[in-house]
Formats: sequence, C-alpha cells, structure tokens
Amino acid sequence: MDHFTQTAWLIPLFPLAAFLLLTALGRSYRKAGVLIGSIGSLAALVMSLLVLFERLGSDAVDYSNSFKWIDFGDVTFRIGFEVTNLNALMLVIVTVVSFLVNVYSAGYMKKDERITVFYGYVALFTFAMLGLVLSDNMLIFYIFWELVGVCSFLLVGFWYAKPAARAAAKKAFIVTRIGDAGLLLGIIVLFWYMPGHALDFSNIHNVFNEGQSGAITMSITTSIALLLFMGVIGKSGQFPLHVWLPDAMEGPTPISALIHAATMVAAGVFLLARTFDIFEASAAAMHTVAYFGGFTAIFAATVAIAQKDIKRILAYSTISQLGYMVMAMGLGSMTGGIFHLFTHAFFKALLFLAAGSVIHAVHTQNIHEMGGLSSKMRVTTWTFAIGTLSLSGIPPFSGFWSKDTILATALDENPFLFAVGLAAAFCTALYMSRLFFIVFTGKSRLPHSVEVKESSKVMTIPLLVLAVISIGAGFVETPWNGWLGRWLTGGAEEAHASGAAIVASIAVGVLGIYIGWLMYGKSSIERGVTSARMPWVANVLEKQYYMNEFYAVAIVKPVRGLGKGLNAIDEYVIGVAVRFIGLAAGAGSRMLNRLNNGQTQTYGLTAMIGLVVIIVAIVGRRFW
Amino acid sequence: MNEFIPLTWHDTLYLAPELVLAAVFLVLIVTDLLLPQRVNRSIIGWLSLGGLLLSLGFVIWRMMDMNPSGVSAEEAAQAGQVISLLGASYLVDDYGNLLKIIFLIGTSLIVLMALGSTQKDEAVTDKAEFYYLLLPATAGAMIMASSGNLVTLYIGLELLSITSYVLVGLRKGSTLSAEAAFKYVVTGGIASAFVLFGMSYLYGVTGSVSLADFPSALPQAFTDYKALVYVGFFFLIAGFGIKIAAAPFHAWAPDVYQGAPTPISAFLAVIAKGAALAAVFRFLYSSAFFLSGGSKDQVGDDVFFALLVIAAAAMLIGTVSALRQKQSKRLLALSGVANAGYLLVPIAISVTIVHSNNFSEFAFYLVAYLLMNVGAFAVVTVIARSSGHEELKGFSGLYYRAPWTAAAMLIFILSLSGLPITGGFFGKLFILLGAASVKAYWLVAIMAVSTVISYYFYFGIIRQMFMRSNGDEEDVVTVPAVTGVVIWICAAATVALGILPGPLMKWIDTVFSIQADLFVR
Repeated sequence: MDHFTQTAWLIPLFPLAAFLLLTALGRSYRKAGVLIGSIGSLAALVMSLLVLFERLGSDAVDYSNSFKWIDFGDVTFRIGFEVTNLNALMLVIVTVVSFLVNVYSAGYMKKDERITVFYGYVALFTFAMLGLVLSDNMLIFYIFWELVGVCSFLLVGFWYAKPAARAAAKKAFIVTRIGDAGLLLGIIVLFWYMPGHALDFSNIHNVFNEGQSGAITMSITTSIALLLFMGVIGKSGQFPLHVWLPDAMEGPTPISALIHAATMVAAGVFLLARTFDIFEASAAAMHTVAYFGGFTAIFAATVAIAQKDIKRILAYSTISQLGYMVMAMGLGSMTGGIFHLFTHAFFKALLFLAAGSVIHAVHTQNIHEMGGLSSKMRVTTWTFAIGTLSLSGIPPFSGFWSKDTILATALDENPFLFAVGLAAAFCTALYMSRLFFIVFTGKSRLPHSVEVKESSKVMTIPLLVLAVISIGAGFVETPWNGWLGRWLTGGAEEAHASGAAIVASIAVGVLGIYIGWLMYGKSSIERGVTSARMPWVANVLEKQYYMNEFYAVAIVKPVRGLGKGLNAIDEYVIGVAVRFIGLAAGAGSRMLNRLNNGQTQTYGLTAMIGLVVIIVAIVGRRFW
Repeated sequence: MNEFIPLTWHDTLYLAPELVLAAVFLVLIVTDLLLPQRVNRSIIGWLSLGGLLLSLGFVIWRMMDMNPSGVSAEEAAQAGQVISLLGASYLVDDYGNLLKIIFLIGTSLIVLMALGSTQKDEAVTDKAEFYYLLLPATAGAMIMASSGNLVTLYIGLELLSITSYVLVGLRKGSTLSAEAAFKYVVTGGIASAFVLFGMSYLYGVTGSVSLADFPSALPQAFTDYKALVYVGFFFLIAGFGIKIAAAPFHAWAPDVYQGAPTPISAFLAVIAKGAALAAVFRFLYSSAFFLSGGSKDQVGDDVFFALLVIAAAAMLIGTVSALRQKQSKRLLALSGVANAGYLLVPIAISVTIVHSNNFSEFAFYLVAYLLMNVGAFAVVTVIARSSGHEELKGFSGLYYRAPWTAAAMLIFILSLSGLPITGGFFGKLFILLGAASVKAYWLVAIMAVSTVISYYFYFGIIRQMFMRSNGDEEDVVTVPAVTGVVIWICAAATVALGILPGPLMKWIDTVFSIQADLFVR
C-alpha cells in the first residue's frame, strides 16, 4: 500500500547516479550529458509524484526507517529517512523545478563548453537537496545542508572567468556559514538536552509538542530555537545575512531559479517547519522569527524598487518573499509558510527562467537597456506576466492565495505585522510592474545590432509548464477550503480567513501595479519623481541601505586588519630589523646577520611574555 | 609499590617496537657508509620504511596480546594489565600503544612522501640521512607516549627534538633551510629549558620524578609550596606549548615549516605535535588532575583552565594570522596552530562523570588531522615541483591540469575546514560535543567562530584550484607514484572516516580505559 513511500530513499539516488556517470564520462559527451542529467531528475520526479499520490489519502501514516550509524559511549547517531506529508510535498517541489531547469538548461547553456560539468553539479545539488528533504534526524539534515551549500558555491562560481562570480561564490559560502555555525551549535545543545540524546525529528516533535514539561527548560528551548534560527537567517537570506543572495546572481540563471529561488534558499523555511515544535514551545523565539521575517519582507521589497539589474530585482524579491514565509512561521501558521513556499517556488522559478530567456535574447541584465520586448518574445512576455501577477498577489493566481493566508493570519495575530506585510505587498506589486513595463513595453532601447527573437522551444516549454502551475497551484488552500492545512498539520492548526485581509491585499496589489503602470507604462507620472525630490531616498535604496559597505567597514576590515597586524609583526617589524642590520653589517657576514636578525629572540620573548600573561591572568585571579 | 627492577631479557620483548627502530637505524648508518656513492639512496628509504612497519607490527602484536577477544572478563583484565618497566618509568599500555600506532603510520606515510619528493631535490645533499634520521625521531615520540616518569619523558623529548633539528636543516643547499634549522634549535632549546625548569620545581616539591607518586605527593606539596607548584606546572605547559606550536608559543612554526623540507614539515606538524600533546595528556592526568575539582586545591583547575585559554588563543590567532598567508607551507603551519587548539580542548576539559570520552575524541581527531595534513603536504610537494615554488598561486587551475590531485586536495581542505563528509568534520563534531557536555559554551563559540574565519583561506585554495585558469598551461603536474599512493591513502581514509567514523571511535573506546591506561600507578 505504501510501497513507494517505503522506497523513497531511492529518490535522491537517481540524481546521484547521474552525477557519478557525468563525472566519469568527462566533458566530451555534451548531448549525452544533457540527457543523463535530465533523465536522472525525471526519474526522481516520477518517484516523488508516486510518493505524493500515495499520501494524498487522509490516513497516510508518517513512515521512517533508520539504522545505527555511529555508536560509542553514550553517543549514538542514526542514519535514515522519513516520509511525512510535508516531506512528500517538498520532494515534488524540488524535483519539478529541478527537472524543468534541466530541460531549460539544454537551451540556455547550449554554447557553454563546460555544459557537462554544469549538469553534473546540478545533479549533485539535486541529490543533496533531496537528501536534506528526506533526512530523518538533525545530523543527517545538517550534513546535506552543508552539501547543498558546497554545490551552491560551485554553481555560483561556475563562470569563474568573471572575477565577480568568484567573489560572489566565496561570499555566498562564507556568509551562509556564519548562520550554519549557529545551526550546528543549536544541534549540539539540542543533542545534550534531548532525552536519550535523540536527534530525530519525530522525537523532537514528541518532546516539545506533547509537553514533557521539565525535560527541557524554557530558556534552553529559546536558545536552541534561536541558534537554529541563525541557520535559517543564513540559508534563507534573512536580514542581516541576506547580502550574499543578490551577489549569488552571478551564477547562471537556471541556477538562480533552482537554487536561489525555489529550493535551497527555501531550506531554511523547511527547517523551521521541521522543527516547528521547538519554536512553538517558546513564545520569545516565535516573536523573534516573526519580526525578523516581517522586517526582511519590507526591507528587501523597498530595495527591489530601486535596482537596475533584472536578476537583482528578482533576488531581492526572493529575499522579501522568504521574509513572508518566515513571518508566517513566526506567527504560528506553518500552513501559511509552507503554502507560500510551495507557490513561490513555481512562480519565482518561472520569473527567473523567463528573465533568463530575456537575458539570453538581449545579452544584458540592465532593465534600462531593454524595452519593448513584448512584440518579439510573446511566450516569454505572457509567462513573465503570469509570474508577475502571481507574485503581486492578484487573484486567481497562486501567489494571491498563499499571501492571503499569511496576511489573514497576521491580521488575527499581530496587526502591526499585518500592516508591514501589506506595505511589503504594495512594494512587491510596484517593483514587479516597474520591471514588467520597463522591460516589455515602450520603445526598445537596445542597440540596433541586437536582433531579438524568442528563445527556442526547449526553453519556452518549461516556462509554459511553470505558468500553468503558477495559475493553478493556489487552489489547494483557499479561504473556503483549507485542504493543504489539514493535510499538512493533521488539522492541528486552525485556518485563518478574513474578508478584510482579502480586500486589503487585492487593493494594495492593484494599486501597486496601477502606480507602476502610471510611472513606467503610461509615463503620466514623472519617473524621476522620487530621485528629483528626495535623491537620498533613491540613493539609499539603490545602494541596498549600504549593508555591504557597513559589513566591509564593521567586520571585514577589522578582521583583515587583525590578520594584517599579526603578519605585520612578521613582515615589517622584523623585516625592517633585518634590513637595518643587513645594511649595517658587511656583505660577507650576511648569513650570520640573517640569523641574528632578532627574529629568534623575538620568538623566545613572545613565548616568555605569553607565559607571564597567562600566569598573571589565571593565577592572579586567585590571589587578587 | 614501584621498586626499581632492572630490565630482564624477557622485558626487551616489550620494548621491541622501540628497539627495532634503534637497530634498523644503526644498521642503516653503517649501510650508508659502506654503500658506494653511485647507489641510489632510495633503497635506504625503503629499508627505513621496512623498519617502521616492523615496529608497527610489534606494537599491533602487543596490543592484540593485551586485548584478547573471546576470553572471560577476568582473563581479559589479566592480559590487559599495564606492563610497567624500570619502576614505572616506562609503561606499555593501550594509551601508549594507540599513539604509537598513529605515530608509526604517520611516519611511514611521510617516508613514502619523502621517497617521492626528495629524490629530485638538489638541495638535499645527504639523502640517506633524510630517511634514517626519521627512525630515532619516531622512537623519541614513542618514548614520550610511553613514559611514566619525568626523566624518561625528557629523554624522549630530546631524542625527538635533536633529530628533528638536523632533519629541518637537511636541505643544505638552501639558506632558508639552514635559517629554519637554526631558529628551530633556538626555540626548541628554549622549550626544553622551560620543560626542564618546570620539572625541577615539581621534583623539588614532591621529591619524586615518577608520575605514579604525584597523586599522593602533590596535594601535600601544594599546601606547603603553592607558588612553586604553580611555577612548575606553568613552565611545563609553556615548554610543551612551544613544541605543540599553540599560540602564543607558535611564532617559530611558519618559518621553520617553510624552510624545512616538506616531508619534515609534515613530520613536525603531525608527529612532533602529536607526541608533545600525548605527553601533556598523560602528565596532566597523573598530576594536575588530582589537584582539581576539590574546593581548596585549585591549581589543577587553573592548569586545565590555562590549557583552555591556550587552546582558544591558538584557534583564534592561528586562523586570523592565516588569513593573509600567500605561502602554502606557512598557511599549513598556521592551520596547524589552530588545530593544536582543537586537539588541546579534549585534554583541557577535564574528565567528568558526564563526559569521559576525552581520549577517544583526542585520538580520533589526531588520526583525522594526521591524514588530512600529511595528504595536504604531499600535494604541496607535487605543486612545488611543477611550479618551482610553494606559493599558493601554484595551485591555480590545478583542477584543469591534474583533476585527480585537485579532487584529493579538495577532500583534505574540506576535512581541514571541518565540513562533511570527511574525518575532520566528525573529529571537530566530537570535540564540540565534548565541550558542550561540560557546558563550556564560550569555548564552543570560539571554535565555531574560528572555523568560520578559516573558511576564508581554505576556500581561497579551492577557488585557486577550480575557479582560476593557469596563465602558463605548460606547467605539467606529474605525481610520482609513491606520492600518489600517499595522497590517495590519506584521501580515501579521510573520506572513510567521514562516512563511517563509528568503528574507529568505538574501537578506541573499547580498547582504552581511563582507569587502567591513563593514570600511572
């Protein structure tokens, strides 16, 4: 009966096999490489759909299977997989997007000489992401979490000939790792406080949900939750660690769609859902999550209004939408968060792939150099429009339903965050209509040498598929039918529905689009109205609130300076001494002088000073 | 209880591993003298390797003898009795044997690496010495792990140190090497002086050099001569701190590693460091440990706390100063400083009821550290030969010139930076878990911070290898077969430890018991 569920562990192995095969084949088999990668992800997709269908009945029981992996002393780690309704849904999201990106890349990456390497990395990423989804305990989860990070590093830097790509790859890796360090600490604290040192999600659920009160105190619960949330902040691009995500757009556009819009960045939200019981047990943690999410949503949405690069606009939009999901989680609506993750994965992947189609045709990412593309690229225009309407929250497109679920929850739980969410929704509609009208309508600002034509079928068909899903996916959960919520949470969560929220959300969406149209479509409002009246606002937004500059001054420079200082002892102080003594002494005894340059004495001296400092500091505190 | 009984013929069997090394060493000196000049000296290298493996065989045989399987508990306890020689000044127990296995395997890999790299190194004029001097050095390390008495400990330390001074200066054609040797002699001398000074104070207040007497004698001595006991302990720690290259005693390491022949740098980074750590481990748990935990006798707590501070300093200073390194061996030296910090943590967080896996954590990470470090140094020898220098930019575009070597280096770097699926990940994870179990969260936080900083330079190397094309593509990378063997043994074992860390950890845990194997009685 649950035959496919029990063999779900096979799903990640298809892309893994594809990766190994691609690596073994090498770079010469270009056509075969595309085929192998696509077949690997297709097989995973088919299996995932089968698992999902098996679980659609109302009585599906969570299935998990694991065996002992490491066992010594009182430490036991298990390795295994688990299929729940949430996991099954994630499996489908990941495999659908992955498969479509595989197909799309056949066109987009056609001329790249390392296309086989590209497909190999994508397959490896898909494997790691599916492993993350299926993992049944925190340690395995963490290992795959790191592995997706490494894949992201490789793919962001795929076009390593561009210095910006190399820098972005490193930045993406290191910034997310700051969050990951918190996550690992959270896992370690959790490990020591869990009864029986269990790290599997079902035990975590039992301990924190069914109120074995006293097992773990409130303050420990809060600190565990906040440490785990650090991982979410890093991976899901929440303020203040969001700075890597816009830079990660240096990677190939299909990667931006797959990793930096639909799947990996959503892993943080997925983590929140998997460990939701820990967060729910601590009101303080929930508040923190909600406010971080809300702030990120509005913060990133305002930045997106002032960007010029089509992919950076979409990246900030992703950050903002992830903020929505995180805020929903913090407000206690796991359904809202996961629902928005679900719809966002499709319409944002659609927007990125359509943007890729545009970039492929016009060879620039600056929206001010485009314009009037609608007549030449009909499929891209229509599908991009569907994505835009969905993201802007216009019914009946999917983004409306999921955003409405979140806003309805916010209205019930926290009116302030409702207002924030509404403002962010307005900005979303505004920057999307700005983007759409500048790129697709008006006169072409492209140089005449560029001949624009629609992308090939292999690229437009994935767009059409995603467009259809983006229209329809929202109906799994509507104000009058809370199917998704019941299915995900077993009816534990009450559905929020509110006519006021619906009206308000439609109103701000339409208003945002209308103002965008007035400014950028019809041009009845002067475009430069803000930059002329309040140039500093436009400036701050365009510079993304100077976050990168702030980090450079506050963190990067001091740490580098410290390293430089430590090296300076090595290079300058001693180097100068060497030169000085070297000059003073005769050439014949140069060797001797090199030895007597004071360096070795310095070493002895530092050791001695170190010893004295330690003695004074440690023994001194006893006798003080 | 520890009356001095002279060695009998039968006892020499217990000393077989060390004696084999000494015998092979002597034979090889003579062979080297008698062999005509034209004969390739790599034969000496192979014979040295043979000696090391023979010694390894003896250690393993002894271990199997002491840990019989399938016998009753009583017989097992009987077989597992610590063999205590010369009035407990030399101990043959599972603690020493485990470490000896690590040292011997490490040195064997290093001899193989030397066979691959030294043959072509014009600067090394005396190639035979290069190989056979590693034998007494290793014997010194083994003596340190087995000593139950301050004098034996010091003899082991000096045997190891003096031979390494020579080894560091063996690239006679290079002034850098001579300079490094000189610096190493001076700082090593300072270290020995510190150690000896500390020892003399401890002897002065307790009237004994035997670790076995310390548990009973130290508490009384401490009430009488507080300050002297403090001085004794802290000088010992500082002296060993220099040998371990833990901050703030690490300043010599980058210079010496850079000047030394690369296999010797690996030897210093792994074996010399490991031996000093082993000595500290055994010494503190037979002395300071018995002065800790109580309400009044705080010197032990202070000593362990000082170690924690040194560990934290080593992690932070090591990673931060590595940020701007452009030279691969200096970088590895500083990464070794940070790793010394990690290795000190399980020693420094005192054994408690909730946490008694200190040694397993230590030994596991030492093994992982050995593999990734020896592997990384082996790759450096390959790079240095193809590009003619040891700068980091020699790694640029390695993936496109030698994909497999680049893949192996990727494994080592992932392990060094503590990422799955490598031995380094689990090594660090176990140490973190240990630190968290005694609620030393500030230390856990420092470990996490230093790890994050270290990504910056570790991933700089990956970027060089994978994301930069080499300007001059004609730099052909040829990997000598023996070096290739070293690289792939290390890479495979690193990955194996990353996928299945359980068996090794469990084995160490079953073989080693704190009561029987660590405390000297």
